[in-house]
Amino acid sequence: MSGIDVRGLGKRFGDRVAVEGLTFHVRPGEVFGLLGPNGAGKTTTVRMLTGLLSPSEGEAVVWGHRADRDGEGLRKVVGLLTEQPGLYERLTARENLRFFMKLHELDEAKAWPRTQHYLERFGLGGREEEPVGGFSKGMRQKLAIVRTLVHDPRVIFLDEPTSGLDPESARTVRDAVAELASEGRTIVLCSHNLSEVERLCERVAVVKKRLLLMGPVRELRRSGQALDVRVDGEAERFRNVLAALPFAPNVLAEGMRLRVMLEDEAHAPDVLACLVGAGARVHSAVPAQRPLEEVYLDLLREEGA
Amino acid sequence: MAFRPRRALAVFWKDFLDLRKNVGLLVSMAVLPAVMVLVPIVVVWTYVNTPNSADLRSVAQFYDPTLPLGASAARFLIDKTLTDWFGLFLVMPVFVPILIASQSVAGEKERRTLEPLLASPVTAAELVAGKSLAALVPAVVITWVAFIVFCVGVDIVAWPLVQGPLMPNALWTFGVLVIAPLFAFFGNGVAVLISARVSEARMAQQISALVVLPLVGMVGGQVAGVLKAGLGFYALQGAVVLVLDAVLLVASIRLLDRERLISRWG
Repeated sequence: MSGIDVRGLGKRFGDRVAVEGLTFHVRPGEVFGLLGPNGAGKTTTVRMLTGLLSPSEGEAVVWGHRADRDGEGLRKVVGLLTEQPGLYERLTARENLRFFMKLHELDEAKAWPRTQHYLERFGLGGREEEPVGGFSKGMRQKLAIVRTLVHDPRVIFLDEPTSGLDPESARTVRDAVAELASEGRTIVLCSHNLSEVERLCERVAVVKKRLLLMGPVRELRRSGQALDVRVDGEAERFRNVLAALPFAPNVLAEGMRLRVMLEDEAHAPDVLACLVGAGARVHSAVPAQRPLEEVYLDLLREEGA
Repeated sequence: MAFRPRRALAVFWKDFLDLRKNVGLLVSMAVLPAVMVLVPIVVVWTYVNTPNSADLRSVAQFYDPTLPLGASAARFLIDKTLTDWFGLFLVMPVFVPILIASQSVAGEKERRTLEPLLASPVTAAELVAGKSLAALVPAVVITWVAFIVFCVGVDIVAWPLVQGPLMPNALWTFGVLVIAPLFAFFGNGVAVLISARVSEARMAQQISALVVLPLVGMVGGQVAGVLKAGLGFYALQGAVVLVLDAVLLVASIRLLDRERLISRWG
Protein backbone atom coordinates (compact mmCIF):
# COMPACT_ATOMS: atom_id res chain seq x y z
CA MET A 1 0.00 0.00 0.00
CA SER A 2 1.30 3.48 -0.87
CA GLY A 3 1.40 6.40 1.50
CA ILE A 4 1.26 6.01 5.28
CA ASP A 5 -1.37 4.07 7.18
CA VAL A 6 -1.30 4.37 10.97
CA ARG A 7 -3.73 2.55 13.27
CA GLY A 8 -3.78 2.84 17.04
CA LEU A 9 -0.06 3.57 17.09
CA GLY A 10 1.53 4.08 20.50
CA LYS A 11 4.92 4.12 22.18
CA ARG A 12 5.86 3.76 25.82
CA PHE A 13 9.31 4.17 27.37
CA GLY A 14 8.96 2.15 30.56
CA ASP A 15 5.94 3.60 32.35
CA ARG A 16 6.03 6.85 30.40
CA VAL A 17 3.57 7.16 27.53
CA ALA A 18 5.11 9.10 24.64
CA VAL A 19 2.17 8.71 22.24
CA GLU A 20 -0.94 6.57 22.17
CA GLY A 21 -3.82 5.68 19.90
CA LEU A 22 -2.68 7.56 16.79
CA THR A 23 -4.73 6.75 13.72
CA PHE A 24 -4.33 8.54 10.40
CA HIS A 25 -3.65 7.98 6.74
CA VAL A 26 -1.49 10.06 4.42
CA ARG A 27 -1.97 9.68 0.69
CA PRO A 28 0.75 9.56 -1.97
CA GLY A 29 1.35 13.07 -3.27
CA GLU A 30 0.06 14.66 -0.08
CA VAL A 31 1.93 17.07 2.19
CA PHE A 32 0.73 16.32 5.71
CA GLY A 33 1.50 18.52 8.69
CA LEU A 34 2.25 16.95 12.04
CA LEU A 35 1.86 19.64 14.67
CA GLY A 36 2.11 19.77 18.41
CA PRO A 37 3.98 21.50 21.21
CA ASN A 38 7.46 20.38 22.26
CA GLY A 39 7.34 16.97 23.94
CA ALA A 40 3.99 16.14 22.33
CA GLY A 41 5.33 12.98 20.70
CA LYS A 42 5.89 14.22 17.12
CA THR A 43 9.52 13.10 17.03
CA THR A 44 8.63 9.72 18.57
CA THR A 45 5.90 9.28 15.95
CA VAL A 46 8.30 10.13 13.12
CA ARG A 47 10.91 7.77 14.59
CA MET A 48 8.39 4.94 14.58
CA LEU A 49 7.40 5.72 11.00
CA THR A 50 11.04 5.75 9.87
CA GLY A 51 11.92 2.43 11.53
CA LEU A 52 14.08 3.94 14.27
CA LEU A 53 11.77 2.92 17.11
CA SER A 54 9.40 -0.03 17.32
CA PRO A 55 5.82 0.76 18.23
CA SER A 56 4.61 -0.50 21.61
CA GLU A 57 1.08 -0.81 20.28
CA GLY A 58 -0.88 -0.49 17.06
CA GLU A 59 0.59 -0.69 13.60
CA ALA A 60 2.03 1.54 10.93
CA VAL A 61 2.49 0.67 7.27
CA VAL A 62 4.75 3.02 5.32
CA TRP A 63 4.72 2.53 1.56
CA GLY A 64 3.89 -1.14 2.03
CA HIS A 65 6.42 -1.80 4.80
CA ARG A 66 5.29 -2.54 8.34
CA ALA A 67 7.22 -0.45 10.84
CA ASP A 68 7.35 -3.24 13.44
CA ARG A 69 8.45 -6.05 11.10
CA ASP A 70 10.34 -4.62 8.15
CA GLY A 71 12.45 -1.76 9.47
CA GLU A 72 15.19 -2.29 6.90
CA GLY A 73 12.79 -2.29 3.93
CA LEU A 74 11.04 0.72 5.37
CA ARG A 75 14.26 2.70 5.74
CA LYS A 76 15.00 2.14 2.05
CA VAL A 77 11.86 4.02 1.00
CA VAL A 78 11.85 6.83 3.55
CA GLY A 79 13.97 9.94 3.76
CA LEU A 80 14.37 11.70 7.09
CA LEU A 81 15.49 15.27 7.62
CA THR A 82 16.25 15.58 11.33
CA GLU A 83 16.02 18.82 13.28
CA GLN A 84 19.84 19.02 13.41
CA PRO A 85 21.52 18.63 9.99
CA GLY A 86 23.88 15.95 11.43
CA LEU A 87 26.60 16.20 8.79
CA TYR A 88 30.21 15.03 8.97
CA GLU A 89 32.07 18.31 9.21
CA ARG A 90 35.54 17.14 8.19
CA LEU A 91 34.15 15.54 5.04
CA THR A 92 33.25 17.50 1.94
CA ALA A 93 29.66 17.90 0.74
CA ARG A 94 30.31 15.28 -1.95
CA GLU A 95 31.79 12.82 0.56
CA ASN A 96 28.81 13.28 2.88
CA LEU A 97 26.40 12.52 0.06
CA ARG A 98 28.48 9.63 -1.31
CA PHE A 99 28.42 8.00 2.13
CA PHE A 100 24.65 7.89 2.13
CA MET A 101 24.59 6.66 -1.48
CA LYS A 102 26.84 3.80 -0.39
CA LEU A 103 24.64 3.02 2.63
CA HIS A 104 21.68 2.79 0.26
CA GLU A 105 23.79 0.66 -2.11
CA LEU A 106 23.09 3.01 -5.01
CA ASP A 107 24.86 3.05 -8.32
CA GLU A 108 26.67 6.36 -7.82
CA ALA A 109 26.93 7.03 -11.56
CA LYS A 110 23.13 7.00 -11.75
CA ALA A 111 22.44 8.69 -8.42
CA TRP A 112 24.81 11.64 -8.96
CA PRO A 113 22.95 13.48 -11.73
CA ARG A 114 19.78 13.56 -9.61
CA THR A 115 21.75 14.67 -6.55
CA GLN A 116 23.60 17.27 -8.59
CA HIS A 117 20.23 18.63 -9.72
CA TYR A 118 19.20 19.17 -6.09
CA LEU A 119 22.57 20.69 -5.22
CA GLU A 120 22.16 23.20 -8.05
CA ARG A 121 18.59 23.88 -7.07
CA PHE A 122 19.55 24.67 -3.48
CA GLY A 123 22.45 26.88 -4.54
CA LEU A 124 25.16 24.42 -3.54
CA GLY A 125 26.42 23.71 -7.04
CA GLY A 126 30.20 24.18 -7.20
CA ARG A 127 30.58 23.76 -3.40
CA GLU A 128 30.74 19.94 -3.52
CA GLU A 129 34.45 19.70 -2.76
CA GLU A 130 34.37 22.02 0.26
CA PRO A 131 34.43 20.61 3.80
CA VAL A 132 31.04 20.97 5.43
CA GLY A 133 32.71 22.48 8.53
CA GLY A 134 33.10 25.73 6.54
CA PHE A 135 29.41 25.89 5.52
CA SER A 136 26.93 28.38 6.98
CA LYS A 137 23.95 27.12 8.99
CA GLY A 138 21.66 27.58 5.99
CA MET A 139 24.03 25.72 3.63
CA ARG A 140 24.22 22.82 6.07
CA GLN A 141 20.44 22.67 6.28
CA LYS A 142 20.16 22.64 2.48
CA LEU A 143 22.83 19.94 2.19
CA ALA A 144 20.96 17.86 4.78
CA ILE A 145 17.83 18.18 2.64
CA VAL A 146 19.77 16.99 -0.42
CA ARG A 147 21.11 14.06 1.64
CA THR A 148 17.51 13.17 2.53
CA LEU A 149 16.76 12.87 -1.18
CA VAL A 150 19.83 10.95 -2.47
CA HIS A 151 18.03 7.60 -2.57
CA ASP A 152 14.91 9.00 -4.20
CA PRO A 153 12.63 8.20 -1.22
CA ARG A 154 8.90 7.71 -1.70
CA VAL A 155 8.05 9.02 1.77
CA ILE A 156 9.84 12.04 3.19
CA PHE A 157 9.77 13.25 6.78
CA LEU A 158 10.91 16.84 7.22
CA ASP A 159 11.51 18.24 10.69
CA GLU A 160 11.69 22.05 10.55
CA PRO A 161 13.04 22.09 6.97
CA THR A 162 13.39 25.87 6.70
CA SER A 163 15.00 26.37 10.12
CA GLY A 164 18.01 28.68 9.76
CA LEU A 165 17.27 29.56 6.14
CA ASP A 166 17.00 33.05 4.71
CA PRO A 167 13.60 33.93 3.14
CA GLU A 168 14.81 33.20 -0.41
CA SER A 169 16.22 29.79 0.50
CA ALA A 170 13.10 29.02 2.56
CA ARG A 171 10.99 29.69 -0.51
CA THR A 172 13.25 27.41 -2.61
CA VAL A 173 12.72 24.64 -0.04
CA ARG A 174 8.95 25.18 0.00
CA ASP A 175 8.85 25.05 -3.81
CA ALA A 176 10.92 21.86 -3.75
CA VAL A 177 8.56 20.27 -1.20
CA ALA A 178 5.57 21.09 -3.39
CA GLU A 179 7.39 19.67 -6.43
CA LEU A 180 8.33 16.46 -4.59
CA ALA A 181 4.69 16.00 -3.59
CA SER A 182 3.56 16.60 -7.16
CA GLU A 183 5.80 13.67 -8.17
CA GLY A 184 3.59 11.42 -6.03
CA ARG A 185 5.74 11.28 -2.90
CA THR A 186 4.21 11.38 0.54
CA ILE A 187 5.57 14.18 2.69
CA VAL A 188 5.18 14.64 6.43
CA LEU A 189 6.14 18.06 7.67
CA CYS A 190 6.83 18.77 11.35
CA SER A 191 7.13 22.47 11.96
CA HIS A 192 6.38 25.18 14.48
CA ASN A 193 6.21 27.63 11.59
CA LEU A 194 2.45 27.50 11.12
CA SER A 195 2.27 29.94 8.24
CA GLU A 196 4.60 27.58 6.38
CA VAL A 197 2.41 24.61 7.31
CA GLU A 198 -0.61 26.57 6.10
CA ARG A 199 1.05 27.22 2.76
CA LEU A 200 2.34 23.69 2.18
CA CYS A 201 0.00 21.21 3.81
CA GLU A 202 -3.35 20.01 2.63
CA ARG A 203 -4.15 18.38 5.96
CA VAL A 204 -2.71 18.61 9.44
CA ALA A 205 -2.85 16.54 12.60
CA VAL A 206 -2.30 18.12 15.99
CA VAL A 207 -0.91 15.72 18.57
CA LYS A 208 -0.27 15.99 22.26
CA LYS A 209 0.56 12.42 23.19
CA ARG A 210 -2.72 11.55 21.40
CA LEU A 211 -4.42 12.90 18.33
CA LEU A 212 -6.21 16.13 19.25
CA LEU A 213 -7.41 17.18 15.85
CA MET A 214 -7.00 16.26 12.22
CA GLY A 215 -8.43 17.70 9.07
CA PRO A 216 -7.88 19.75 5.93
CA VAL A 217 -6.23 23.10 6.66
CA ARG A 218 -8.99 25.01 4.86
CA GLU A 219 -11.70 23.47 6.99
CA LEU A 220 -9.83 24.00 10.22
CA ARG A 221 -9.37 27.64 9.38
CA ARG A 222 -13.08 27.92 8.70
CA SER A 223 -13.98 26.47 12.09
CA GLY A 224 -14.62 29.74 13.91
CA GLN A 225 -14.43 32.95 11.96
CA ALA A 226 -12.50 36.13 11.86
CA LEU A 227 -13.38 39.65 10.85
CA ASP A 228 -10.83 41.84 9.10
CA VAL A 229 -11.51 45.50 9.86
CA ARG A 230 -9.67 48.47 8.36
CA VAL A 231 -9.77 51.67 10.39
CA ASP A 232 -8.29 55.14 10.19
CA GLY A 233 -4.96 55.48 11.97
CA GLU A 234 -3.30 52.99 14.29
CA ALA A 235 -5.53 49.97 14.81
CA GLU A 236 -3.69 49.16 18.03
CA ARG A 237 -5.71 51.91 19.83
CA PHE A 238 -8.87 49.82 19.61
CA ARG A 239 -7.53 46.47 20.78
CA ASN A 240 -8.36 46.94 24.45
CA VAL A 241 -11.82 48.32 23.67
CA LEU A 242 -12.66 45.18 21.70
CA ALA A 243 -11.09 42.86 24.23
CA ALA A 244 -13.47 44.32 26.86
CA LEU A 245 -16.54 43.09 24.92
CA PRO A 246 -18.63 40.46 26.79
CA PHE A 247 -17.54 37.70 24.39
CA ALA A 248 -13.85 38.79 24.76
CA PRO A 249 -12.61 38.19 21.23
CA ASN A 250 -8.99 37.60 20.44
CA VAL A 251 -7.70 40.62 18.51
CA LEU A 252 -4.60 41.10 16.36
CA ALA A 253 -3.64 44.64 15.32
CA GLU A 254 -1.26 45.50 12.54
CA GLY A 255 -1.01 49.00 11.05
CA MET A 256 -4.55 50.10 10.11
CA ARG A 257 -5.84 46.51 10.24
CA LEU A 258 -7.59 44.63 13.02
CA ARG A 259 -8.22 40.90 12.87
CA VAL A 260 -10.96 39.96 15.34
CA MET A 261 -11.50 36.25 16.03
CA LEU A 262 -15.15 35.40 16.55
CA GLU A 263 -16.69 32.42 18.25
CA ASP A 264 -19.96 33.28 16.56
CA GLU A 265 -20.62 35.11 13.31
CA ALA A 266 -23.52 36.91 15.04
CA HIS A 267 -21.03 38.94 17.08
CA ALA A 268 -19.75 40.83 14.00
CA PRO A 269 -22.27 43.74 14.30
CA ASP A 270 -21.35 44.12 18.00
CA VAL A 271 -17.69 44.43 17.05
CA LEU A 272 -18.43 47.13 14.49
CA ALA A 273 -20.78 49.01 16.85
CA CYS A 274 -18.12 48.92 19.54
CA LEU A 275 -15.49 50.30 17.18
CA VAL A 276 -17.72 53.10 15.95
CA GLY A 277 -18.71 53.87 19.54
CA ALA A 278 -15.02 54.16 20.43
CA GLY A 279 -14.56 56.73 17.66
CA ALA A 280 -13.08 54.53 14.97
CA ARG A 281 -13.62 55.47 11.34
CA VAL A 282 -14.25 52.06 9.75
CA HIS A 283 -13.18 51.80 6.11
CA SER A 284 -14.06 48.19 5.54
CA ALA A 285 -15.05 45.01 7.41
CA VAL A 286 -14.57 41.70 5.64
CA PRO A 287 -15.19 38.16 6.96
CA ALA A 288 -11.94 36.21 6.92
CA GLN A 289 -10.61 32.77 7.78
CA ARG A 290 -8.78 32.34 11.04
CA PRO A 291 -5.07 31.77 10.67
CA LEU A 292 -4.00 28.20 11.45
CA GLU A 293 -1.97 29.55 14.33
CA GLU A 294 -5.16 30.77 16.06
CA VAL A 295 -6.89 27.43 15.53
CA TYR A 296 -3.84 25.62 16.87
CA LEU A 297 -3.40 27.83 19.94
CA ASP A 298 -7.12 27.69 20.78
CA LEU A 299 -6.97 23.93 20.58
CA LEU A 300 -4.01 23.73 22.92
CA ARG A 301 -5.67 26.18 25.31
CA GLU A 302 -8.82 24.04 25.36
CA GLU A 303 -6.70 20.96 25.90
CA GLY A 304 -4.84 22.61 28.77
CA ALA A 305 -8.05 23.95 30.41
CA MET B 1 18.22 -9.03 8.26
CA ALA B 2 20.98 -10.00 5.87
CA PHE B 3 24.50 -8.73 6.44
CA ARG B 4 25.46 -6.55 3.45
CA PRO B 5 29.27 -6.16 3.25
CA ARG B 6 28.84 -3.13 0.95
CA ARG B 7 27.14 -1.17 3.71
CA ALA B 8 29.74 -2.22 6.30
CA LEU B 9 32.45 -1.08 3.87
CA ALA B 10 30.64 2.23 3.43
CA VAL B 11 30.85 2.82 7.19
CA PHE B 12 34.53 1.82 7.11
CA TRP B 13 35.16 4.16 4.14
CA LYS B 14 33.51 7.13 5.87
CA ASP B 15 35.23 6.57 9.23
CA PHE B 16 38.61 6.05 7.59
CA LEU B 17 38.19 9.23 5.54
CA ASP B 18 37.17 11.13 8.66
CA LEU B 19 40.20 9.75 10.52
CA ARG B 20 42.58 10.85 7.75
CA LYS B 21 41.28 14.41 8.11
CA ASN B 22 41.39 14.44 11.92
CA VAL B 23 44.86 15.90 12.51
CA GLY B 24 44.52 15.99 16.30
CA LEU B 25 43.66 12.32 16.47
CA LEU B 26 46.46 11.38 14.04
CA VAL B 27 49.00 13.18 16.24
CA SER B 28 47.69 11.38 19.37
CA MET B 29 47.96 8.10 17.49
CA ALA B 30 51.55 8.77 16.42
CA VAL B 31 52.90 9.60 19.89
CA LEU B 32 52.45 6.14 21.41
CA PRO B 33 54.20 4.15 18.64
CA ALA B 34 57.07 6.64 18.66
CA VAL B 35 57.57 6.11 22.39
CA MET B 36 57.14 2.33 22.10
CA VAL B 37 59.87 2.15 19.45
CA LEU B 38 62.34 4.77 20.64
CA VAL B 39 62.54 3.91 24.34
CA PRO B 40 63.72 0.28 23.97
CA ILE B 41 66.15 1.25 21.20
CA VAL B 42 67.72 3.86 23.50
CA VAL B 43 67.85 1.34 26.39
CA VAL B 44 69.55 -1.29 24.20
CA TRP B 45 71.94 1.39 22.91
CA THR B 46 72.98 2.27 26.50
CA TYR B 47 73.62 -1.41 27.31
CA VAL B 48 75.68 -1.82 24.14
CA ASN B 49 77.76 1.26 24.97
CA THR B 50 78.51 0.27 28.57
CA PRO B 51 78.97 -3.52 28.30
CA ASN B 52 81.47 -3.77 31.15
CA SER B 53 79.71 -1.60 33.69
CA ALA B 54 79.59 -3.14 37.17
CA ASP B 55 76.11 -1.72 37.61
CA LEU B 56 74.87 -3.74 34.66
CA ARG B 57 76.15 -6.95 36.22
CA SER B 58 74.42 -6.10 39.54
CA VAL B 59 71.11 -5.52 37.75
CA ALA B 60 71.53 -8.72 35.70
CA GLN B 61 72.29 -10.73 38.84
CA PHE B 62 69.19 -9.31 40.51
CA TYR B 63 67.13 -10.96 37.78
CA ASP B 64 69.27 -14.10 37.50
CA PRO B 65 71.57 -14.81 40.45
CA THR B 66 72.92 -17.87 38.56
CA LEU B 67 74.23 -15.75 35.69
CA PRO B 68 77.72 -17.18 34.88
CA LEU B 69 80.65 -14.84 35.45
CA GLY B 70 81.75 -15.18 31.83
CA ALA B 71 78.34 -14.28 30.43
CA SER B 72 77.77 -10.77 29.15
CA ALA B 73 75.48 -8.84 31.52
CA ALA B 74 74.72 -6.38 28.72
CA ARG B 75 73.57 -9.16 26.41
CA PHE B 76 71.49 -10.71 29.21
CA LEU B 77 69.80 -7.37 29.91
CA ILE B 78 69.21 -6.71 26.21
CA ASP B 79 67.41 -10.06 25.91
CA LYS B 80 65.42 -9.36 29.07
CA THR B 81 64.49 -5.86 27.90
CA LEU B 82 63.26 -7.21 24.57
CA THR B 83 61.16 -9.88 26.29
CA ASP B 84 59.70 -7.54 28.90
CA TRP B 85 59.08 -4.77 26.42
CA PHE B 86 56.80 -6.98 24.37
CA GLY B 87 54.18 -6.79 27.16
CA LEU B 88 54.29 -3.00 27.01
CA PHE B 89 54.31 -3.00 23.21
CA LEU B 90 50.90 -4.73 23.37
CA VAL B 91 49.50 -1.56 24.90
CA MET B 92 49.74 0.00 21.42
CA PRO B 93 47.34 -2.32 19.55
CA VAL B 94 44.92 -1.97 22.47
CA PHE B 95 45.17 1.79 22.82
CA VAL B 96 45.07 2.94 19.19
CA PRO B 97 41.65 1.37 18.46
CA ILE B 98 40.36 2.87 21.71
CA LEU B 99 41.33 6.33 20.42
CA ILE B 100 39.65 5.73 17.06
CA ALA B 101 36.56 3.76 18.07
CA SER B 102 35.65 6.15 20.89
CA GLN B 103 35.65 9.01 18.39
CA SER B 104 33.71 7.11 15.77
CA VAL B 105 30.89 5.80 17.97
CA ALA B 106 30.49 8.36 20.78
CA GLY B 107 31.50 11.04 18.24
CA GLU B 108 28.38 10.23 16.17
CA LYS B 109 26.27 11.09 19.21
CA GLU B 110 28.21 14.27 19.95
CA ARG B 111 27.95 15.54 16.38
CA ARG B 112 24.25 14.58 16.14
CA THR B 113 24.98 12.41 13.09
CA LEU B 114 23.63 9.27 14.70
CA GLU B 115 19.96 9.68 13.79
CA PRO B 116 20.46 10.25 10.04
CA LEU B 117 22.88 7.31 10.04
CA LEU B 118 20.43 5.00 11.83
CA ALA B 119 17.63 6.15 9.53
CA SER B 120 19.54 4.50 6.65
CA PRO B 121 19.21 0.76 5.93
CA VAL B 122 22.51 -0.07 7.70
CA THR B 123 22.10 -2.81 10.34
CA ALA B 124 23.71 -2.96 13.80
CA ALA B 125 26.05 -5.76 12.68
CA GLU B 126 27.15 -3.77 9.60
CA LEU B 127 27.70 -0.71 11.75
CA VAL B 128 29.83 -2.65 14.24
CA ALA B 129 31.77 -4.32 11.41
CA GLY B 130 32.43 -1.04 9.56
CA LYS B 131 33.38 0.92 12.65
CA SER B 132 35.53 -1.92 13.99
CA LEU B 133 37.40 -2.24 10.69
CA ALA B 134 38.04 1.50 10.68
CA ALA B 135 39.63 1.20 14.12
CA LEU B 136 41.40 -2.15 13.62
CA VAL B 137 43.06 -1.62 10.26
CA PRO B 138 44.98 1.52 11.33
CA ALA B 139 45.82 -0.07 14.71
CA VAL B 140 47.26 -3.24 13.19
CA VAL B 141 49.07 -1.39 10.40
CA ILE B 142 50.60 1.05 12.92
CA THR B 143 51.63 -1.87 15.14
CA TRP B 144 53.26 -3.73 12.26
CA VAL B 145 55.04 -0.65 10.94
CA ALA B 146 56.24 0.19 14.46
CA PHE B 147 57.43 -3.41 14.84
CA ILE B 148 59.46 -3.21 11.61
CA VAL B 149 61.03 0.09 12.69
CA PHE B 150 61.66 -1.39 16.14
CA CYS B 151 63.41 -4.50 14.70
CA VAL B 152 65.60 -2.45 12.38
CA GLY B 153 66.47 0.04 15.14
CA VAL B 154 67.32 -2.63 17.73
CA ASP B 155 69.43 -4.61 15.24
CA ILE B 156 71.38 -1.53 14.20
CA VAL B 157 72.19 -0.39 17.76
CA ALA B 158 72.82 -3.95 19.07
CA TRP B 159 75.02 -5.08 16.15
CA PRO B 160 78.39 -3.93 17.62
CA LEU B 161 77.80 -6.15 20.67
CA VAL B 162 75.81 -9.04 19.23
CA GLN B 163 77.43 -9.19 15.78
CA GLY B 164 74.17 -10.49 14.29
CA PRO B 165 70.44 -9.80 14.08
CA LEU B 166 68.52 -10.02 17.36
CA MET B 167 65.12 -9.19 15.96
CA PRO B 168 62.61 -10.40 14.94
CA ASN B 169 62.65 -13.29 17.38
CA ALA B 170 59.97 -15.99 17.80
CA LEU B 171 58.13 -14.24 20.66
CA TRP B 172 57.87 -10.92 18.86
CA THR B 173 56.98 -12.39 15.47
CA PHE B 174 54.22 -14.57 16.92
CA GLY B 175 53.11 -11.81 19.24
CA VAL B 176 52.92 -9.03 16.68
CA LEU B 177 51.36 -11.14 13.93
CA VAL B 178 48.87 -13.12 16.06
CA ILE B 179 48.42 -11.65 19.55
CA ALA B 180 48.51 -7.95 18.61
CA PRO B 181 45.48 -8.17 16.26
CA LEU B 182 43.57 -10.03 19.00
CA PHE B 183 44.44 -7.28 21.47
CA ALA B 184 43.46 -4.64 18.91
CA PHE B 185 40.07 -6.33 18.55
CA PHE B 186 39.77 -6.32 22.33
CA GLY B 187 40.56 -2.61 22.63
CA ASN B 188 38.09 -1.85 19.86
CA GLY B 189 35.36 -3.98 21.44
CA VAL B 190 35.76 -2.29 24.81
CA ALA B 191 35.68 1.17 23.20
CA VAL B 192 32.58 0.38 21.10
CA LEU B 193 30.81 -1.02 24.14
CA ILE B 194 31.64 1.95 26.35
CA SER B 195 30.98 4.47 23.57
CA ALA B 196 27.50 3.04 23.19
CA ARG B 197 26.80 3.81 26.83
CA VAL B 198 28.38 7.24 27.35
CA SER B 199 27.60 10.50 25.60
CA GLU B 200 31.08 11.93 24.92
CA ALA B 201 34.04 10.59 22.97
CA ARG B 202 36.50 11.86 25.56
CA MET B 203 34.70 10.09 28.38
CA ALA B 204 34.60 6.90 26.31
CA GLN B 205 38.37 7.15 25.71
CA GLN B 206 39.15 7.74 29.36
CA ILE B 207 37.06 4.84 30.63
CA SER B 208 38.16 2.45 27.85
CA ALA B 209 41.82 3.29 28.42
CA LEU B 210 41.60 1.69 31.86
CA VAL B 211 41.83 -1.73 30.18
CA VAL B 212 45.55 -1.18 29.51
CA LEU B 213 46.24 -1.09 33.26
CA PRO B 214 46.46 -4.91 33.65
CA LEU B 215 48.99 -4.97 30.81
CA VAL B 216 51.09 -2.28 32.42
CA GLY B 217 50.76 -4.12 35.74
CA MET B 218 52.10 -7.33 34.20
CA VAL B 219 55.09 -5.52 32.75
CA GLY B 220 55.65 -3.99 36.18
CA GLY B 221 55.66 -7.51 37.58
CA GLN B 222 58.25 -8.57 35.00
CA VAL B 223 60.50 -5.58 35.73
CA ALA B 224 60.20 -6.25 39.48
CA GLY B 225 61.27 -9.83 38.80
CA VAL B 226 57.98 -11.27 40.15
CA LEU B 227 56.66 -12.49 36.82
CA LYS B 228 58.49 -14.34 34.06
CA ALA B 229 56.55 -14.04 30.81
CA GLY B 230 57.58 -15.92 27.69
CA LEU B 231 56.01 -17.24 24.52
CA GLY B 232 53.74 -19.69 26.40
CA PHE B 233 52.48 -16.99 28.76
CA TYR B 234 51.57 -14.68 25.88
CA ALA B 235 49.97 -17.52 23.89
CA LEU B 236 47.74 -18.25 26.89
CA GLN B 237 46.98 -14.56 27.25
CA GLY B 238 46.08 -14.47 23.54
CA ALA B 239 43.66 -17.39 23.97
CA VAL B 240 41.91 -15.62 26.86
CA VAL B 241 41.66 -12.41 24.81
CA LEU B 242 40.21 -14.38 21.87
CA VAL B 243 37.33 -15.55 24.08
CA LEU B 244 36.83 -12.00 25.40
CA ASP B 245 36.80 -10.72 21.79
CA ALA B 246 33.92 -13.03 20.91
CA VAL B 247 31.96 -11.89 23.99
CA LEU B 248 32.63 -8.22 23.17
CA LEU B 249 31.54 -8.67 19.56
CA VAL B 250 28.15 -10.09 20.54
CA ALA B 251 27.69 -7.45 23.25
CA SER B 252 28.62 -4.61 20.84
CA ILE B 253 26.06 -5.70 18.25
CA ARG B 254 23.38 -5.88 20.95
CA LEU B 255 24.30 -2.50 22.40
CA LEU B 256 24.38 -0.76 19.02
CA ASP B 257 20.73 -1.62 18.63
CA ARG B 258 18.81 1.25 16.98
CA GLU B 259 16.06 1.47 19.54
CA ARG B 260 18.47 1.57 22.46
CA LEU B 261 20.72 4.19 20.87
CA ILE B 262 17.89 6.42 19.69
CA SER B 263 15.82 6.32 22.85
CA ARG B 264 18.90 7.02 24.95
CA TRP B 265 20.85 9.45 22.79
CA GLY B 266 18.83 10.50 19.77
